[in-house]
Amino acid sequence: MAATRRTSQRVTLLMLVLASVTVLTLDYRGEVSHGIGHIRNGARDVLAPLQRGIAAALHPVGDLFAGAARYGSVQAQNQQLQTSIGELRRKMSEYAAEQQQLRQIAALDKVTFVSNIKMVDAEVLSAPTSNFRDTFELDRGTSSGVAVGEPVVGSNGLVGTVTSAGRSTATVQLITDTRSSVDIRLGANASGFGVVTGRGLGERLNLQLVSGSPNAKETVYTAGTVAAGAGAYPAGLPVGTVSSVHSSPGGFSKTATVTPLANLDSLQYVGVLLWLPSA
Amino acid sequence: MSGLGWARLAIVVVVGVVAQVSVLDQLVVLGAHPDLMVLLAAAAGLAGGPQSGAMVGFTVGLVADLFVDTPFGLSSLTFVIVGYAVGLLRSIPAGRELGSAQVAACVVTGAAGTLLYAVLGALAGQSGMLGHDTANAVLVVMVGSLVLAPIALACLRWVFSGGRARAGYPVPSGGSATA
Repeated sequence: MAATRRTSQRVTLLMLVLASVTVLTLDYRGEVSHGIGHIRNGARDVLAPLQRGIAAALHPVGDLFAGAARYGSVQAQNQQLQTSIGELRRKMSEYAAEQQQLRQIAALDKVTFVSNIKMVDAEVLSAPTSNFRDTFELDRGTSSGVAVGEPVVGSNGLVGTVTSAGRSTATVQLITDTRSSVDIRLGANASGFGVVTGRGLGERLNLQLVSGSPNAKETVYTAGTVAAGAGAYPAGLPVGTVSSVHSSPGGFSKTATVTPLANLDSLQYVGVLLWLPSA
Repeated sequence: MSGLGWARLAIVVVVGVVAQVSVLDQLVVLGAHPDLMVLLAAAAGLAGGPQSGAMVGFTVGLVADLFVDTPFGLSSLTFVIVGYAVGLLRSIPAGRELGSAQVAACVVTGAAGTLLYAVLGALAGQSGMLGHDTANAVLVVMVGSLVLAPIALACLRWVFSGGRARAGYPVPSGGSATA
């Protein structure tokens, strides 16, 4: 009795194992596998709505468990994400910087006020490194034709003058440098003349008028005359706009402040004018 | 197993597979989730003996195979063996069918079944079945079984009590309950 039952158990086991193996084998055959795939898809489709509903209700619970168990890996993932965010930010700022460069270079190409003077494009290597000198380094030197005394312009206006030049680098003194002075004329029609001197980086320029009376927002241009002991510039380079006018009672001349047109705080590309005052 | 037993089994399997697919599969720990289906096969062996265990294991396995991406028939092959083996366990010692012992048996066979599944899958030519993930899966199924085994046992007792009103449980004689 027990023996026959045991035999029947084994027969059942054998049959079921064989059935499973048969199904398993069939699944490896192309056409049958295709049919099984259909059945599987059907079964999953049937269960899907139910599954979705239950999942929607229970997901927070599952997330809680999973989150607690995966705390370490979540932390690692967080770290990774932070790293890639930083990288992306860096790339974005690089991209923005490149765009800025492109804009500056493109703007230099359109500098209209020096149409008849040859110009060398140069990149700013370093911002002012001293607190007392508004100078910066360029990546062009004498090998490119840059020489001491040549004017340097940005896309909007005068930047400064070359004060020293090596073979492949040059030092430029900004018009905001306290040692700088530029002879100017008021407006396009030269309604007055004066001298613009620097007061330090980030400061407005000081305008001492010799003649004429400035109006606010009037543009001042280089006069083309050579001031004693100062840099020389070709006439007609835009320098800045008059921002405020002071008249001292009893004084002979008027003074004003001038805002430089070139964006001296964030220079990246400038043009060196291959122009020297004829001695 | 009576017609009522099969009907009850159908209910248990459908509810079980829904719970597995929509709830348990979401509880991923160490890259693995608990497995109720293998426990149904193990509980069938404990509640119904080797023959019933093999039959229920085959059925549960076929249904489970619908929702996994391993070869069709792999789960049923595994669960047939699990159900049968656990059924044999039941018949060894008489008078020892304590609830906790049954739960322990379910937990152990759940883990063994998971390992068997991986081995059979590897034998069937499936790549990535055996690896360091396997150990994680066995561990997670074991831990999950501590909670799920009593539920599976209760369900399968209910299934096998279908044909034997008032028969109750346990049946310590060691034979199949589906005579």
